[in-house]
Amino acid sequence: MERPAVTVRPGEFRNGSAERGKVFELRDVGVDYGGVPAVKEISMDVHRNQVTALIGPSGCGKSTLLRCLNRMNDLIPGAVVHGSLRYHGEDLYGPSVDPVQARKLIGMVFQKPNPFPKSIFDNVAFGPRVQGRKKGLEGIVEAALRRAALWDEVKDRLGDNAFGLSGGQQQRLCIARCIAVEPDTILMDEPCSALDPISTNKIEDLMVELKEEFSIVIVTHNLQQAARVSDRTAFLMVELDADEDNRWGRLVEYDETEKIFTNPADRRTEDYVSGKVG
Amino acid sequence: MAEATRVHYQEELAALEASALGGLDLVGAALTGTLEAVAGQDIARAEAVIADDDRIDGRYLEVHQSLIALLAKQSPVATDLRLISALLHVIKCVERMGDQCVNVCKLIPLTGSEPPADARMVERIVAMGEQARVLSEEAKRAFERRDVEMARDLVRLDDVVDDLNRECFRLALEIGDDAERREWAMTMLLAARAIERIGDNAVDIGEQVAFVVTGLFKEFEDASHPEG
Amino acid sequence: MEAGGVASERARLASAGARATVAAALGRQPRRDVALNAGFAALLLLAVLIALAGLAALLVQAFVKAAPSLSPDLLTSMPSRINPEEAGFRPAILGSLQLIAGVMLFVVPVGVGAAVYLEEYADKSKWWNRLVEVNIQNLAAVPSIIYGILGLAFIARGPLDLGFVALTGSLTLALLVLPIVIIAGREAIRAVPASIRQGSLALGATRWQTIRRQVLPAAVPGIATGVILAVSRALGEAAPLLLVGATVFITFDPTPFSEFSALPVQIFNYAVQPQEEFKALAAAGIVVMLVVLLAMNSFAIWLRNRYEQRW
Repeated sequence: MERPAVTVRPGEFRNGSAERGKVFELRDVGVDYGGVPAVKEISMDVHRNQVTALIGPSGCGKSTLLRCLNRMNDLIPGAVVHGSLRYHGEDLYGPSVDPVQARKLIGMVFQKPNPFPKSIFDNVAFGPRVQGRKKGLEGIVEAALRRAALWDEVKDRLGDNAFGLSGGQQQRLCIARCIAVEPDTILMDEPCSALDPISTNKIEDLMVELKEEFSIVIVTHNLQQAARVSDRTAFLMVELDADEDNRWGRLVEYDETEKIFTNPADRRTEDYVSGKVG
Repeated sequence: MAEATRVHYQEELAALEASALGGLDLVGAALTGTLEAVAGQDIARAEAVIADDDRIDGRYLEVHQSLIALLAKQSPVATDLRLISALLHVIKCVERMGDQCVNVCKLIPLTGSEPPADARMVERIVAMGEQARVLSEEAKRAFERRDVEMARDLVRLDDVVDDLNRECFRLALEIGDDAERREWAMTMLLAARAIERIGDNAVDIGEQVAFVVTGLFKEFEDASHPEG
Repeated sequence: MEAGGVASERARLASAGARATVAAALGRQPRRDVALNAGFAALLLLAVLIALAGLAALLVQAFVKAAPSLSPDLLTSMPSRINPEEAGFRPAILGSLQLIAGVMLFVVPVGVGAAVYLEEYADKSKWWNRLVEVNIQNLAAVPSIIYGILGLAFIARGPLDLGFVALTGSLTLALLVLPIVIIAGREAIRAVPASIRQGSLALGATRWQTIRRQVLPAAVPGIATGVILAVSRALGEAAPLLLVGATVFITFDPTPFSEFSALPVQIFNYAVQPQEEFKALAAAGIVVMLVVLLAMNSFAIWLRNRYEQRW
């Protein structure tokens, strides 16, 4: 099912777009898996150069929503996305958009670090190589590893297998790998949940630095992490239908993180962030 | 590998501490203005100090809001938590010290611009004010350095203020029967009382220093614990 | 005093009793359980010994029988019906080598290609894909003589009409072992975790780039192991080759388009000769084949252990 490549050039959006300051605009976005709704009627804007957190109890559809943003739901058979999802003003699900191109602009870091079974260098160089770059790879790899705060730890062993790194280093490698492609947005699906506290701290510090250059959307089940790193937080909750057969996620509140954690508008948000309700 | 993490949080906390303690500089400036107004019975100067108190109030609101946000967002524990709690107290003391200066300045117009009835009372009050300013500077330094000994020493400095206050009280008693003179003396006593409160606030800041360092809250000395 | 004495005595007994109970509980195992455990272990050991005994018997018999005629000349001499002293396996060995070269050339691209299609592109919910999957498993169990008939009908004669040449033998054997390669290839590809594919796709790689640069390279050890096992099976097949023209008596070096022979066929021929010396020669051939097969299988196992990707 080939789609014509969309004429989207990396870097085109950094300087201007239809709606200045907004990376994603979601209006009534919903996702079904084989007809069963997972998430319904999500409307929110993700802003540039900010960290936006998605929080909520298990099963509320945070990861599903995140995967909409880089068309990774396309890979799941039976997944259908409704509503309007605009990326820098363009309809991300429009007929002229090639998901492969979209994923070059919107990168993703996964919950469990998934380095390729190759050397550290080849891991980071994979993205640029796939885009056709053959020269200048050393420079790109070094820049990406520096940006991911990993260069000093691996500069003498770029040829070593990536599996020899610790969990935290592997995750930073995945971040470097993502950065090497020069996206403008990075999506992170619970990036620290498989890591120890020190590695978690390092990656959280990294996120705050990265947001100067990228826009970041992070899914996390760790409320304190959302409070620490994000500028805006979206709280999703599970809703049951009358017969309690179906459950789907809905957006309850979306606001500045400080407000969500000091004085949320919705009672349900208050109960969740203060731990009174799971 | 002892690398620093949570760097941004540490920087934010340090900046807030500087901002809170900077409030004591504002208090020092307010005190200076207040004492000039008292010494010269200068109403215009007094009004300027009153207007300037907005800055101290603004600083209080800003620091307070930021501290609450930091508590919500960073889940501080241990020393950080004690520090934030102490800073909440400190900024409140700063705001009260500013208010006490305003109280003194509000009394100036009531005493009129005529020469003072008892110059010795004015001298004492100005001396109290100078000492109070020394106290607030020492309190700031003690907090910055986390120096508990220096903080405890604030009690000794405050004793000077308390002694001068008692002297003012005696002088007021001896002012005589003239109604105007009595009115002036009682007004000046209120001013002395306000400055004495500034000294006590500085000692409170000292107690917060001990709390941050030791984790224990113990009153150094106040009306109910005269020996400390 | 007496009451105190009795009480303390009771207490001493009670605590001693308690300790003894715990010790007993920790150390005790009913004799029945011990016996059953030992008996079961003995039975398993017996099974292993029987299998090893069978293998040992085969090896010993082959070496003993082959002893008289084992010499390097075996590999270089032409076969002879008359003179066992000078008979050898040369054309058979060359024929076998050509056969397995042909098998590898055919089976690697076709087998790996089929495995990639079935694992990566086929929609597993469609009925025809499930049918294909089931049938490939079945094909691995079909007797090899059937493939001989297939080769005779369609490759030697019929549409391809290649005649009784080594190439025919290669293609026939390739069809025989293709299911092994496909199944091994599928296992190897399936073993590559989805997280690797997702990671690759999330970087903006296409499906094909992901397969070519991530999945296949990671699956190579598994695929290579499958190919080696397939080839070692092909090496030992005689039945299908008999039907597609592996003659037992050629005295020239075969080429892909000439008449050919193969090691198992040659062994069979020597074994049915009446003279004792020929039987020794057959045994020698078996030894040669065993050595080659053992080496190949050991190599496959070493390859798998060395390069296997532990996820």
